[in-house]
Amino acid sequence: MNSTEEDIEVRLKGSPICAGIAIGRPFFFIYSDESVPEFSIENSEVPEEIARYRRALSHSEQEIRRLQKQLEIDGALEGVNILDTHLQIMRDPIVTSNIEKQIEVTRKNAEYIFQTIIKSYEKKFNNLKDKFFRERFKDVRDISRRIMKNLRKSASISLADIPSNSIVFAHDLVASETAETKKSQVGAFVTETGGETSHAAIIARARGIPFVSSVDFQDVQVGKNTYVIVDGRTGEVIINPRESTLNYYQTLQYQLDNQIQSLQKIGGLLPETIDGYKVKLSANVEMENELELLHQYGGEGVGLFRSEYICLSHESFPSEEEQFRIYKNIISAMKGLPIVIRTFDVGGDKFREFLNMRNESNPFLGCRAIRFMLREREAFKMQLRAILRASSYGNVSIMFPMVSGSFELLEAKDILKEAMNELDKENFAYKSNIKIGCMIEVPSAAITCDVLAKECDFLSIGTNDLVQYSLAVDRGNQSMSYLYNPTHPSVIRLIKMIVTEGHSNGIPVSICGEIAADPRFTALLLGLGVHELSCSARYLPIVKNAIRNTSIVSANKLAERILVMSDAQEIQDAIHEEYQKTVPCDLLHNHA
Amino acid sequence: MKLEQEVLVKNYLGLHARPAALIVKLLENAQSEVYFTCNNQTVNAKSMMDILLLAAKKNAKIHISVAGDDAQPVIRQLVQAFDDGFGE
Repeated sequence: MNSTEEDIEVRLKGSPICAGIAIGRPFFFIYSDESVPEFSIENSEVPEEIARYRRALSHSEQEIRRLQKQLEIDGALEGVNILDTHLQIMRDPIVTSNIEKQIEVTRKNAEYIFQTIIKSYEKKFNNLKDKFFRERFKDVRDISRRIMKNLRKSASISLADIPSNSIVFAHDLVASETAETKKSQVGAFVTETGGETSHAAIIARARGIPFVSSVDFQDVQVGKNTYVIVDGRTGEVIINPRESTLNYYQTLQYQLDNQIQSLQKIGGLLPETIDGYKVKLSANVEMENELELLHQYGGEGVGLFRSEYICLSHESFPSEEEQFRIYKNIISAMKGLPIVIRTFDVGGDKFREFLNMRNESNPFLGCRAIRFMLREREAFKMQLRAILRASSYGNVSIMFPMVSGSFELLEAKDILKEAMNELDKENFAYKSNIKIGCMIEVPSAAITCDVLAKECDFLSIGTNDLVQYSLAVDRGNQSMSYLYNPTHPSVIRLIKMIVTEGHSNGIPVSICGEIAADPRFTALLLGLGVHELSCSARYLPIVKNAIRNTSIVSANKLAERILVMSDAQEIQDAIHEEYQKTVPCDLLHNHA
Repeated sequence: MKLEQEVLVKNYLGLHARPAALIVKLLENAQSEVYFTCNNQTVNAKSMMDILLLAAKKNAKIHISVAGDDAQPVIRQLVQAFDDGFGE
């Protein structure tokens, strides 16, 4: 990617994932043989960098072993033998110690060192006179690609010496990469695919980093020194902007910053409508350090703690003691506010590798979340024991994800009871009346939520999955994204139904999906009867502002009007129009 | 203890990936240091890559040198493996 045509402004269009404007220089986070990033690390980071290389190696070994098992089942024994040689190459102690030594001596990143050393071997193989032996390098190349892929997965952009305010271009991003990103260094993300975007997207949103996916930038010339503008509201990526374009976006960015700053002042105000209808506003949280924002913005609790993210740094389920410590810390940091801990939602596209999950042709319809944990009964009980033990330190409830019918909820409750009995015997203190919630994100659960409501203390609608399962659209599949529409009448009706059933059974219903963070949905959700919204802490001010600018009377009218609409686009237009009317000054969400 | 012996590569394809993997596997738990010399090139026999880079074809002469406490059993097993043509 050279900057040969310096003067031409190029506009690319992708899918907007996280709103916001960024202006910066490009940084290519792309791994091919040719462009492996090279950067320096601190002396103190050397052990982690070496550990990262070892983890990539052990992941690669696990992958090969899994492949071997598959081949054995298929009767392809020749393949098993070939992979055996791959394993031995991978384990080569000389290569490994060489790489580790080089990381230590040169203090460069693992990818770069690995690539350099593999290149030196390539040279040696190329110098062999015998063609047969020369071609053995193919195996080495195959293996090194695998290791590099796994290294890349564990790469944290934050480790990179990337200049501040970089626009990061990547093929795709995984959750861990996004999670470890430093906000000050990354101005925006631009990715080619949507592959595993959804979870990366959730984290980008939590960090407030503009994000545009499905951008085809391979054939575009992007020089290192050209400016790039990312408009995360519209999905536009502008390379080499004209002076006038640059001015326009600089002004817009300035206005947006002002808007965000003035919104933050409403942190202390109540989330209630003009006519005094009070809403409970909570935050979705992945990591303890996000609680600062929650307190700053006056959040009333954590409506969803995604506990599986504590597995990220451990690459397995942490021990009971470790989990107890983590839960106790976060519960204590709530300063008395309630927190809902959702049990591990693994599988689907999350954390498959380290759990050694079997390959499924359809992982989102396979063994994920509660299904997986009911199978891994001991690990499940371990988590429940840890949460229970931490429960005496504050106001905590437990929520089960991906429940598809009452038997799963009942079985989960059985295991919880078992955990309680064990703790009784071992003389551990815990809150015996701990509240149990059920996530409603599968259509079968939504349709039978009256049954589920009788078996638990609260319901929480996970709209991201509810949309995906109701509409039969994979939320990671970019070519289908035009169908992934939370404003589809079926989704709106399901939400209405769940809220009604929950209330007639006397239990609260909250919404913890991405639509809770979108202020254009706020009035509609209030009108549908939702009392509690839970979104990334970053969005609390903008949602609170939406609540404070609407009245429950007009929200009810809007909901009534929308419930008889027949088309997703029509509904989307209606809520956008309503929002533009109530909060005309929101530059982030009101745009053509 | 240091032991040395010369062996002949007997199998048809020479020290390609599979025999090299077998050698490395065999030496996995060996305490001794093991070196192969072929055509004036000496490599660490515990490194799969290095063995491949020897590019030892059929009938190549390999000089094995083993130094360490378990040198005796290690060299015996190695010579045996070469003599068997690595089962090929």
